[in-house]
This record gives sequence, structure tokens and C-alpha cells, in this order.
Amino acid sequence: MTVLVSREGATEFRKRFKYFAAGVLLAFLVVLGRLFELQAVQGADYAAIAHDNIVRRVAVPTIRGAIRDAQGHVIASSRPASNVTVVPGRAMPSAVSGRRPSSVAEQADTWSKLAITLRMNPEERVRFETRLKTACENSSWQDSPEDRRRSPCWRTLLVREDIARDIEAQLKEHASELTGADVMTVPVRYYPYKTLGAHLLGYVGEVDAETLAKLRPQGYDQMNVEQRQKLNPLNYDVGDALGATGIERAWESSLRGQAGWEKRVVDAHGRYRTGPEADRLLDDPKRQDPIPGRDLRLTIDMELMQSIERAMRAHAAGAAVVVDVRTGRVLAAYSKPDFDPNDLSGAGGKTRVRETFARLSTDPLRPMMDKTMSGAFQPGSTFKPFSALAALEDKLIDPEDHERCDGYLMFGRRIFHCTHVHGKVNMHDAIAESCNVYFFKLAETVGMDRIARIANDFGLGEKTGLGTNPEAPGRVPTRSWYALRYQGQFRIGFTLNAAIGQGDALVTPLQLALAYGALANGGTVYSPEIVRAVETSDGAVVQEFPPRVRPHKVDVKPENLARVVDALRAVVNDPRGTAYPVRDPTIDMAGKTGTAQTGYIPQKGDDAKRTAYYSRDHAWFAAFAPAKAPEIAVVVFIEHGGSGPTQAAPIAIQIIREYQRLAAARGPHVKPPPPPPPRLTWFPNVLPPIVTPPQDDAGAPAFSLDDAEAPFLTTEAGAM
Amino acid sequence: MISRSSTFTARRLLDSPRDQFDWALFLVTAGLAVIGVVNLYSATSVVRASLSDLYVQQVYWLVAGGILGALAAAIDYRHIERYGYAIYGFGVVLLLLVFVLGRDIRGSSRWIQIGSFSLQPSEFMKLFLIVALAKYLHNDPKTEGRKLRDLAIPALFAALPVALVLRQPDLGTALILLLIFATIGAMMRIQWRSLATLAVFLGVSGPLVWGYLLKPYQKQRVVSFLSPEENLLGANWHAHHARVAIGSGKWLGEGFMRGTQNQFLFLPDQYTDFPFPVFAEDWGFVGSLVLVGLYAFLVLWGIRVAQSSRDRFGAVLAMGASALIFWHVFFNLGMVTGMLPVVGVTLPLFSYGGSSVITVMIGLGLLMNVSIRRYQLAPGR
Repeated sequence: MTVLVSREGATEFRKRFKYFAAGVLLAFLVVLGRLFELQAVQGADYAAIAHDNIVRRVAVPTIRGAIRDAQGHVIASSRPASNVTVVPGRAMPSAVSGRRPSSVAEQADTWSKLAITLRMNPEERVRFETRLKTACENSSWQDSPEDRRRSPCWRTLLVREDIARDIEAQLKEHASELTGADVMTVPVRYYPYKTLGAHLLGYVGEVDAETLAKLRPQGYDQMNVEQRQKLNPLNYDVGDALGATGIERAWESSLRGQAGWEKRVVDAHGRYRTGPEADRLLDDPKRQDPIPGRDLRLTIDMELMQSIERAMRAHAAGAAVVVDVRTGRVLAAYSKPDFDPNDLSGAGGKTRVRETFARLSTDPLRPMMDKTMSGAFQPGSTFKPFSALAALEDKLIDPEDHERCDGYLMFGRRIFHCTHVHGKVNMHDAIAESCNVYFFKLAETVGMDRIARIANDFGLGEKTGLGTNPEAPGRVPTRSWYALRYQGQFRIGFTLNAAIGQGDALVTPLQLALAYGALANGGTVYSPEIVRAVETSDGAVVQEFPPRVRPHKVDVKPENLARVVDALRAVVNDPRGTAYPVRDPTIDMAGKTGTAQTGYIPQKGDDAKRTAYYSRDHAWFAAFAPAKAPEIAVVVFIEHGGSGPTQAAPIAIQIIREYQRLAAARGPHVKPPPPPPPRLTWFPNVLPPIVTPPQDDAGAPAFSLDDAEAPFLTTEAGAM
Repeated sequence: MISRSSTFTARRLLDSPRDQFDWALFLVTAGLAVIGVVNLYSATSVVRASLSDLYVQQVYWLVAGGILGALAAAIDYRHIERYGYAIYGFGVVLLLLVFVLGRDIRGSSRWIQIGSFSLQPSEFMKLFLIVALAKYLHNDPKTEGRKLRDLAIPALFAALPVALVLRQPDLGTALILLLIFATIGAMMRIQWRSLATLAVFLGVSGPLVWGYLLKPYQKQRVVSFLSPEENLLGANWHAHHARVAIGSGKWLGEGFMRGTQNQFLFLPDQYTDFPFPVFAEDWGFVGSLVLVGLYAFLVLWGIRVAQSSRDRFGAVLAMGASALIFWHVFFNLGMVTGMLPVVGVTLPLFSYGGSSVITVMIGLGLLMNVSIRRYQLAPGR
């Protein structure tokens, strides 16, 4: 029996078993302890991580506000553009190495079909084919999901931006044969008037890396809401649109709106999951609606702008400004040459933006510059009324006294020229006939600083504060300025030149328009205003801006002002006036011509044409109308346009005529603006109606390169 | 001399093995298998169409494994002892065949294709190694402590398959083979001096192995285990998401097939090496407690079977089978909970895979074999 129960030498192991059991028990207790830690102790933390993994806040885009002119015409809005993207591995499965899984085993490349549908030229097609193949170079069908996440082979690649509607229709029709291709809709800024008003509107660009790095510095994602709000109040992210210049930039915070968000359930591959099972996992709040951008109502009159464009057709470069002398509202601000903000705002894609920039930045006529306020130029004789006022105010000259003009004035050993031999002229005649000699003598008596004080009172030499584009302050030189500039060697010749708006005096067309507005309205210099109201998308006014008067009111005696204004009327209405030959007898207006010498020194490499263009004078005409009860001030500036009376004055007269025609057509009362167009929902499948500005049928011939008088217009890079 | 208990024992000796059927072992195994299949359903059915019938496949494997396990239990283990070295030799040949016929999957070749089945010989090798070691110890009883010299042959038994498996390369299986050998080695009585020498040897060879034998991806796993927060998207992706899934189960879990990290595909390898996070996410700590309890019971029961074995062969066999289960469970759970580096070790009866399921079922069959014959005389030779 003992044989039966003995355990055949198993005694060697006997004592060990309880240690084994203890070890196993301990090991499992450690495992359980760890599980307790993970699940019971830290469970809530991990549940939060798990929740973050599957719930993603997806931005709900907002719509940038529209911009309308005074009459309610939409001049900037957003339209949907369609971009085509491709997932290389799906559109070109042959580029991926390895044995194909059964799901794609039979699939042919769809890329060639897409290339044909997009009407790619052979060169473009080859370029993209290379890119697709490069993207999938290191990819294999056997890659793990994480490898795939990292490989460019499975990420979307942009192939074509802003495709035409018919191509989009074809793509949608053949969607089943175009595996891997997708059409994405993105908002693109749309300017129906194209180039007209480009400078004042500006354009919209994608927020650049440098700005973004400032708005979203490192660690931004970890910051709390307040810190983010402080750094990046408008919440910019990669790819967002940002106003680059003009009103688009200055009013960015109103126009932008605020993107909303929506919580979506995503899986590890970034795919959205829907249905009740997924919705159950979303916590409250589930959504925040976007706040649409505010609309802007401008003081600009686009019909008047069109008239100005027509009137300026014969000239290559210049600017025109129309302000309401009763309010300081800017009715028109036109700068030439211009550009199409559509091309810079993403219509036609990034390539077109790049090309347009390249073209514009090498153009010697500086099309990107807003010459109404960013450019300051010698005002020429349009400055004379202010010199005259300075003399009158300080009673240094009797305006009825006559001076003799022999066509020149010898001052020391220098000769100062006049335009003609005017004979004996008093102040009235000197302004009307633009006699320089009279003003040389006046300047000698009055002195530079008194003239500068009056000019400053009228807002010259100082930024107007419109703020839509970088403003040039201009310059009204004083003795102390010259003292600094020429190290104490003040010469009386400086004063003489300054009195007639030559030499170192510089003004912007906008400044001059506001100054003439003050001459017209009895001495009130307004701060210019270009945005009349901020409105909601359905037209309700959020904020209205009343006219603002500059804190500095001009302190001149009414009789002195009246005397100067009377002389300005004579410029147009007196047969001896400089603008009399081009006057329109039906229009009651006053103004002053100006022909400013630019003192161009020919540079190396200039050809004759270039020298001829740049040596020409700037042509000016500053006016207001009607002379009896002034409503508007108009400044026309033609860069290297030649003579003010013959070149600029007719344009100003044309603008005033058009203004009066438009006012008459609109009736005595301001017509209520038309109801705003129906709002774009995000995004309808139709384009907003394209508003084509009416084409002019008559008028001056368009400026042309073949014109013998045409200025130098080569586009050598860096020529200017 | 015959006590009450020995009469009781004596009466049992007359029973057939069928009367001694180990219900506890059977029921725990069946329970784990059922939970494993249910969990596999949760892990795969909603993921992808191609994977959704994986759990059916697993049932087939379990049935096949059950039949083979029953066979392993039915044949008296003392017959198996007789062919121990032959079986071991067969296993080594299969491992060698892998190098000839192996298919390369994700950078290592572990499988032999037979018809439409893929066989993973290294899985079965674990059993064959146990059998060989059991036979060696059975035939070499010692009354006093063993010296290093006495350990040389069993060490060679282990070293050969470990070397072959490392060549595939398959770190997880090599590790399990080594641990099985170490466990069985720990059953033996070894002289203190020999143990000290062994410790010194391991201390010296460890760095050498690290420097020359491990592949870069294997080192990467260890390094990433030691600094888990550094590279979440890289080597720690698996470990991180496994922890998140387990933790988010909290006390009671999110419910069957409702674990978000699994359902939304954040768990990689959720049906092979990482089925436990799926389970823990669905059933919470309470579920984990039950599951770990079942595994613990199974292993402890195995040790009890080894203890009650009639002979040395049976004891080592039962101990080896228990060690197989224990190390798989411990390493897999340690790995998914972030206590151990990520090495590919399956969770018995939970991970999908024919070779793994059949190996475990045969192992448990052998355990049953030893268990039901603990009162039986060796069959006549």
C-alpha cells in the first residue's frame, strides 16, 4: 500500500509549491492594485482623456461682413469658391507599394481622369504626377494606421483652386469614377466693382506665418480662455482671412465676425461618427453659433467713383477726392493706377495672388499706393489761398494794393519765374490769374511761419486721421524745419517757394480736399469719415458715426475768408481766370489750379520717354461747388499730368457735373437705401449675382501704351 | 498504518480517471473562453467588415483546441513522458522550418503556411519545452542540491528554441520560454554557491545582450517604457491608449460594446495583444477583478495539481502548464497597464489566434491529465 501512496521522488519539489502559490498571489495582487489605481483612483482623469480623444471641437465658419456704398451697392462680399483636393494614395493606388488588400485590389488609378476633367495642360499634369508619386514613395499597403497618419500619401493635396462651375458640375457628375478626389468649398472675398475703389477697400489675405506666430505663440493651445483672448482677441487660426490693406484692414474687427464651434465625435482616423450612439457621448454645451461679421455702410458713392474713373481715363496716374464740405464725409477717393483686389484675395488661387503681387510690385507707377492719402506731393498754386489768408489775417498787406509782375522776379542773384507777364495785379487778380510774382512779394512781407500756421490750421502737414491706409503727413515747412534741414542756412528763397506751394511743401489730395472744404464752409475742418455706419447682416444699424470736427477750428475772419473765396470763384468765372477756358457755364463753382514742378533729375539709365514723363509737372485742381452754398470739395491730382488748368481742371469740372447729375436723379431727399440682398447661408449652391459696373460708352479715350504722349511704362524690376 | 484518509485515498485509486474529472479546471477554462469570445466580439465586430467574423473564427479555434486538449487529457501523461525528447525534437524541426517556409509579416517571420492555415511553431514549442524538461527532471532525481553542471542540460533544452525564436525575431515568445525554464528551474534544489555564480553571470551577460543581441526596435520598446511621456505618437502609442482605455472604464465600465476608445479605433491590436483594455473599458474595475480572479484561480489550481501529482514528471508538467498561463497573463496585463514594456505576449483565451488558443488548450489539457490521474499508478510498461 505504501507504494501506492508514495509520490515517487516528487519530494524534491514539495516545499516549493507554497512559495510559488504565494508568488503568484502576490503578482496578481500587484496587477489588481495597478488596475485599482488606473480605474478606481485615476479613472476620472483617464475618462477625461478618453473624452478628449473622441470629442473634437470643429470650427463653424462665420461670414465676413459685406461692405456697401452710400446707396447700398455691395462693393465687397464673400462668395463660395470650390477647390479640388486629392488623396494621392487613393487617386493613384499604383504609386503605393506592397500587396494590395482585397478592397482596392481591382482599383485603377483615377488620377488621369481627374487631370482630363480639370483640363490640365501636360506640363502641369506631369508636375502633379511627380508630386503624387513622391508623396507615396515610402508608403506601402501594409503600413499601420499610424504610419498612414504620418504619410503625405494619405493626406489631401490641393490641386486646383476656385474652379469654374461647369468643371465642378462635371466632377460631381463623375464623382464615382474619381476616387480620391474631392471638392471643397471655401469662402473667397468678392469685389464686384473689381479695380474701382481698390485702394480704399483694400484686400483680404491669408493670415501669414509671422502674424500667426505673434497671435498664437508657443504653448497657446495650453492657455486658458482669458490668456488666449488677450493674445488673440479675434481668434485667428491657420488659413484664416485677414484684411491686408484699406477698409478691410482698418475695420477688420467689425468685419471678421466670430467663428462658432460644434462638438463632433471623431474616431482615431479623424473620421466623424454620427448617430445616436455618437451623440450620446457629446457633453453640453454642444454648439456655439458663429457671430456673423458686421456689415459696413460707407460714405462712398460708387456711381460717382465710376464717373471719376471715366473722367481720369486719359491719364496714367493720379488721384481724385470728393468730400462733403458739410460733414467731412468722403464721397469718393480714387487712386490710379489701381489693381483688382479679387486677384489678391484668393479668387483663382494662391498662384494668381503671387503672380499679381509680382506684377504690381514692379510697376513703376506704383499701383499699390493709395495716392489719395499715402502719397504727398507739392501742391503748387493750390496752396496760394492759404498764403493769401495768412497775409490778410495779420493785416500785413492791403489786398487792394497792386504789384507789378514782369514775368519774373530777381531776388538777389536768383531769378524766380512767373507763368506770364501779368502786369499790375492785386490779390484777387493774383489768385485768379495765379501770379507767382505777387505771392513772392507777399511771402517776403508775411514770412514763412505765418503762412505755415494758417496752412496747419487748415489741416495741411498733419495726418487727417482717416486711418484706412497708411497716411502721409505731408509737410508745411517752417523756419525751424529749414534750420534743421539745412543747418541754419536759411534762405529767403525757401519762403518764396513755400508761398506758391513749391519746394518743400507737400500735401496729400485728401488733406487738400478737406482744407478746401474748410474754405468753402466757413472755416470748419472736419475729420474725414469713410464709414458711415456699422450694420448687422439684415441691415439694422449697430453704430452710426456722426461727422467729427477737428479739435482745431480755423480762426480766420469771415471777411478775409470771403475775399479769398471770391478770388477762387474768379479762377473759374472771370475771363482772366486760369480755369476760365475750360469752365462749364452751367456750373456754379470755385477752385484753384495748380501746376507743381517736380524738380526731376534724370537718372542713369533713363531713356528719353522716361525722362519726358517724370520731368512733367503735377497737375492739380482743387474746387468746391456750388460756390453759393457749397456741398462738395473736389481735388483732382494728376501725377506728371502737365498743366493744372488744362489737364486737371476739366476733370474736376466733369466730376462736379456728374455729382450734380446724380443728385438731381436721386431727388431732393436721400432715397432710403435698397433692402440688403439676401444673406448667403453657408454655403448655397449658387453664386451671388455678379454686379457688373455699367460700362461707359462715350468719354475720353482710354489711356494706352501706344499713345505718343504716354509716359514711360516699362516694367523692369527695380526701375523705380 | 492505514489511516482514515488513506483508506479514503485508497478507494479513489480504484476509480477510473473519468470519476476524478477536474470540474473546477474545466469550468474556469470554459468561463474564460466564453468571456474571451464575447470580448472579441466587442473588440472587432463594429470595427471593420473584414474583422467582424473574427470571433466566429475564434470559436472554431476553441473547438479545435478543446478537442486537442481533451486528447491531451485522455492519453495518460506517462505515455507522453516516454516520447518526451521526440516531441521536443519535432518542435525544434518545426522552428527550423520557419526559416525555410516562413512568411514575413511586419518584419518578422513566425508562421508556416499549411494549406489555408498559418501555424506558429514557437507557440507549440512552449509545450514541447515543458515536456522535455519534465522528462529530464523525472529521470534525474537528486536528493541534495544541484550544481551548475547539473543545470547545463536543461539550460541547453531551453537555449536552443530561445535562440531560434530570437532569430525570427520574436522577443515575447523567447521571454516566455525563458520564464518557463526559470520557473521549472526554481522547482529544483540548487546549491547556494551555484546560485551565486549564476547571479554574477547574469549580471555580466545582461549588458552584453543589450549591446549586441537586441534589435533597435526591441531596445526602443524598453527605452520608451522607461520614459513613457516622451513620445506619445511613437513607440508609446500602444501603451498610452491602452492605459486610457483601461482607466476610462472606472468602476463599472461603459457597458458591453460601449467602450469609446475601442469603438473609435484608438486601441491598436485590440484583438491580438490588447484585448484586455477592451474588456476593462467595457466592464470597469469590477470586471477586471472578476477576470484577474479567474486567472489567479486557474494558476493556483494548476500549482495545486502539480503539488498533488503522483510523480516528478506530472509535477513538472503541471507546473510548466501553470507557468505558461501565469507568465502570459502577468506579462500581458503588466504590459497593457504600463507596468512592463510592450512585448508581444498574448492573453490566454482572450487574444485571437489559432496557435495561441490551441497551445493554451493543450496546456490546460495536460493539466487536466495530471489532475485526474493523481491517484493512479503508472500504466504498465
